[in-house]
Amino acid sequence: MENQYANEIWPLAIYFGMVIMLVVTMLALSWVLGQKRREAATNDPFESGVVSVGGSQIRISVEFYLVAIFFVIFDLETLFIFAWAVAFFELGWAGYLSITVFIGVLVLALVYQCRSGALEWGNKTRTGLREDQLTTGEST
Amino acid sequence: MNGSQMQALMPILMLSLTAIVLMIQASIKRDEKATWIITVVGILLALWGAGYARDFSQPVTILLQVDNWGLFFTALVLLASLVTVVLSQDSFSSEGGSKEEYYLLLVLSALGAVILIQSSHMASLLLGMELMGVALYAMIAFPKKGLLPLEAAVKYLVLSGCASAILLFGFALLYAATGELSYKGIGEKAALAYISNPLLVMAGTAMVTAGIAFKLSLVPFHMWTPDVYQGAPTPVTGFLATVSKGAVFVALARIYMDAELHQYESLILALSVLAAFSMLIGNLLALLQEDIKRLLAYSSIAHFGYLLIVLIALTGSEMASEAVTFYLAAYILTTLGAFTVIARVSREDQQKSQISEFEGLFWRNKIQATALTIAMLSFAGIPLTAGFMAKFFVINVAIQGSHWFLLSALVIGSAIGIYYYLRIIFSMSKTSGNDIGFRDRSGDITALLLTVLILMLGSWPQPFIAFAGGL
Amino acid sequence: MLMINLILILLIGGVVAIFSERLGADVPRKVALAVVIIDLIYLLIALSTIPQLETLQAPVPSDPETWLMHYSVEWIPAFGIKIELALDGLSMLMVLLTLILGAVAVSASWTDIKVRQGFFEANLLWTLAGVLGVFMALDLFLFFLFWEVMLIPMYFMIAIWGHENRGYAAMKFFIFTQASGLLMLVSILALVVIHHGNTGVWTFSYFDLLSAQIAAQTAFWLMLGFFVAFVVKLPGFPFHTWLPDAHTQAPTAGSVILAGILLKTGAYGLIRFAVPLFPQASMEFAPVALWLGVAGVIYGAILAFGQTDFKRLVAYSSVSHMGFVLLGVYAWNILALQGAVMQMVAHGFSTAALFMIAGSLQERLHTRDMREMGGLWQNMPRMGAIAMFFIVASLGLPGLGNFVAEFLVLLGLFQVDRLLAVIAALGLITGAAYSLLLMQRSFQGEPDETRQLVDFGTREMLTMAVMMTALIVLGIYPQPILDISRPVVESLISFSSIVTGGSL
Repeated sequence: MENQYANEIWPLAIYFGMVIMLVVTMLALSWVLGQKRREAATNDPFESGVVSVGGSQIRISVEFYLVAIFFVIFDLETLFIFAWAVAFFELGWAGYLSITVFIGVLVLALVYQCRSGALEWGNKTRTGLREDQLTTGEST
Repeated sequence: MNGSQMQALMPILMLSLTAIVLMIQASIKRDEKATWIITVVGILLALWGAGYARDFSQPVTILLQVDNWGLFFTALVLLASLVTVVLSQDSFSSEGGSKEEYYLLLVLSALGAVILIQSSHMASLLLGMELMGVALYAMIAFPKKGLLPLEAAVKYLVLSGCASAILLFGFALLYAATGELSYKGIGEKAALAYISNPLLVMAGTAMVTAGIAFKLSLVPFHMWTPDVYQGAPTPVTGFLATVSKGAVFVALARIYMDAELHQYESLILALSVLAAFSMLIGNLLALLQEDIKRLLAYSSIAHFGYLLIVLIALTGSEMASEAVTFYLAAYILTTLGAFTVIARVSREDQQKSQISEFEGLFWRNKIQATALTIAMLSFAGIPLTAGFMAKFFVINVAIQGSHWFLLSALVIGSAIGIYYYLRIIFSMSKTSGNDIGFRDRSGDITALLLTVLILMLGSWPQPFIAFAGGL
Repeated sequence: MLMINLILILLIGGVVAIFSERLGADVPRKVALAVVIIDLIYLLIALSTIPQLETLQAPVPSDPETWLMHYSVEWIPAFGIKIELALDGLSMLMVLLTLILGAVAVSASWTDIKVRQGFFEANLLWTLAGVLGVFMALDLFLFFLFWEVMLIPMYFMIAIWGHENRGYAAMKFFIFTQASGLLMLVSILALVVIHHGNTGVWTFSYFDLLSAQIAAQTAFWLMLGFFVAFVVKLPGFPFHTWLPDAHTQAPTAGSVILAGILLKTGAYGLIRFAVPLFPQASMEFAPVALWLGVAGVIYGAILAFGQTDFKRLVAYSSVSHMGFVLLGVYAWNILALQGAVMQMVAHGFSTAALFMIAGSLQERLHTRDMREMGGLWQNMPRMGAIAMFFIVASLGLPGLGNFVAEFLVLLGLFQVDRLLAVIAALGLITGAAYSLLLMQRSFQGEPDETRQLVDFGTREMLTMAVMMTALIVLGIYPQPILDISRPVVESLISFSSIVTGGSL
């Protein structure tokens, strides 16, 4: 039994070894042959000759992140709808009812997100409150 | 799925409905008061549903098992959620000052717990656990003040994600070994699979155990507990300690019983080691705490160590399942009682939960001080409280199974425990400069009700024992 | 029902005491005194109607019907737990002692407690209720319940109204007794489970468990669980370290109850439970227990000699005196056991009185340090004379109760082990040494004329008179006590010798 495993596995092992060796060789060669400079500009990011200004830890609006999350959520939900569609006839009315409820909840969720301001672009109130309420909330 | 099965799912349906209604309400017009009322009504409806579903006990699909035992814990979890809702009302504020979503998350988390309790299949187990967990991360991070809640939430999120991954990997291994995912199916095939492929079954079981042990915060998977307990807003800590841990333990007990895991000695050994370490290390580390929430975190580690004894001794005793029921019920009630008072005392600032904050509480608010005293005595296992009867059950079961090693760990652990529980009582009885009394109707009533329940379970347990035996 | 009422009166009295504080700061103590006296009268009336008291036949340990009183009602049928109370001569003596000293303790708290009197008197009454329960409960579960629960009000008494180092003392007291109690709980449960395994019946009743069949090896360990719990409470060497702290830090009334009554529950437990439940194992263990007893007698006396704190000295003298009880119990013959019972009663009175004197001194001088006393007799002649009386009682002057007790114990012990009896007799000499030292340092010597001290008043004199009378009666005419305890002692001994084949 174990012999059999060994027979099947040895090409894989050799392949694995070769990959490691190749990577190590490449890194080692570049380290040995490459130039080594330590100058003022060495560690600066390359900005086509323009000197970079400011820190790298700037705040980026998370809108894109929100869109990505929405995409993932609703994309995943389609999976279930696909599964239902494939078995449409087998599931019959019970299946239809289930998927209706499912899609209904999904729509409600979308409404909720819309109302809470998740889809607004730019400066906004996440909780859907008016600006003045928000400021009084923060001052405490 | 037929009508009677739908009726069996009544509590789950009620909670889902509440969640949807809350969502609609938040999108139409935000109003915290209304949200609060809807949540309370929804949970009460779910409680009614748990009673209603008793007449429809049956397996619902392969995923869920509705039975009286599960329904009892469903009711208990819902009760704990209700207390959490009551406590959360004016306990802490969120960013923007409004916390409709908080109640929505709470309902979702309770829903996850109910699914977890009734699960009979690895898929529903994971589903329930994640629903409960994901909602909890957000609940922990809900208050706007301070970095601690954020730290706690991130810590819990990352570690919990890790644990879920391990759990899932364990399921995969077990599936590879047995070709089954339902508890019963795994139980039937595991014995055979164990002979042909012991490594796979062992690794799978070990991973599942580790994943669940993380959620129960058994030593050595307990590192997250004190930070999360301390950082989370107090009502959420209470929720985490009761609903989350209780539901996971019920699920563990179900796996254990349905899959008949007690026949694997290596697993018993592993659980014994976990239990002994939890009892000893939990109690020892609790000695060093200055923050009452951290202290209770370590004490909960120890208590789940005690509970594990019952699971280990499951076959040796005729009353082990009653023991699980009784201990969990006592633990949940006592924890709720304790966190009710802590939440009310540190209401102004959720981070003020140092033991010294409780000095002179006896002369400031007699009802809540008495409630916390009773809760601490119950934790310590002093007679006339629910905690004593629970410990009585555990010792009884352990003696019947002749688990002398675990028993000695329990005795040593409990002896250490008395010290830190007493410290809290002592600090309450001190006369401090701050003797201004405070009145607090909702807190007083909740604390009083829970105290009465704790004392009733402790001094007149017969009706409950009979009830638990009939489950 | 009578026995339940006795406990209930105290419990409800405690609640009344709390609320009576609204009527005035000095009302609770009057309520408490009234409650204890009502309880006492109620008991005496009830006892006078019992016909058996005239003949005093020997109760059979395993047959409750032969006892003076017996009450039993279902409580938790799932485990066969009952509310079962019974009274025989031994418990009757203890209950009487408890109630009398309870009244004394209320009197001791009269001016001592200045804040939250209501809650204090409530705790005092609740402790008494718990102790009564311990002396009367014969369902092991119920016994354990009272055993543990009576500590909670006691804990509060020390922790809230104690002296400077009260937190530490209260904690130490509670942890020692609770942790050892846990061992006893395991033993009780193991005993019940084994009995259940043999007979298929769940029962915690003393009367049923007396006949439990246990393997010798197991019985030994179970006996040890009981023994440790009781000896911690007694307190016997080497588990005595909580006692000096607790006694010293407790308020006067707390010390009175602690020394006068609570310590006796340990001795009572040994006589009632530890030995009869495991006669064979106890017989094997007796030599060790006897040596522990002797060690307690001598070691307690030596430590007492080295104290400068009035209360601490009395506390260590308790360790020494309770060593005699341990000796008496494990000598396990009629003379020694009678002596142990006698010692329990006599020591209860003498130590309670000494603690009350210590409390009065502290109230007047604001110190317990004997180096700052001296010559107090001149300042307070009445207190001095009374202190003299109780100090010589404590050292075992013939004619007073303690002498009878220690003499009986030594006599009984001599039949069992002569060497030990000789060593234990040394305890009498050392006792004389530290007792006289106590007298000398505090009441004799050069008086400090600048001190303006109030002597004992009527209330204090009356309280002291009760205890003095008791000690004199016990010393000159101990026969009634011996008559009451004799049947119990005899039947216990004959019962255990049947089980062990007469070799104990």
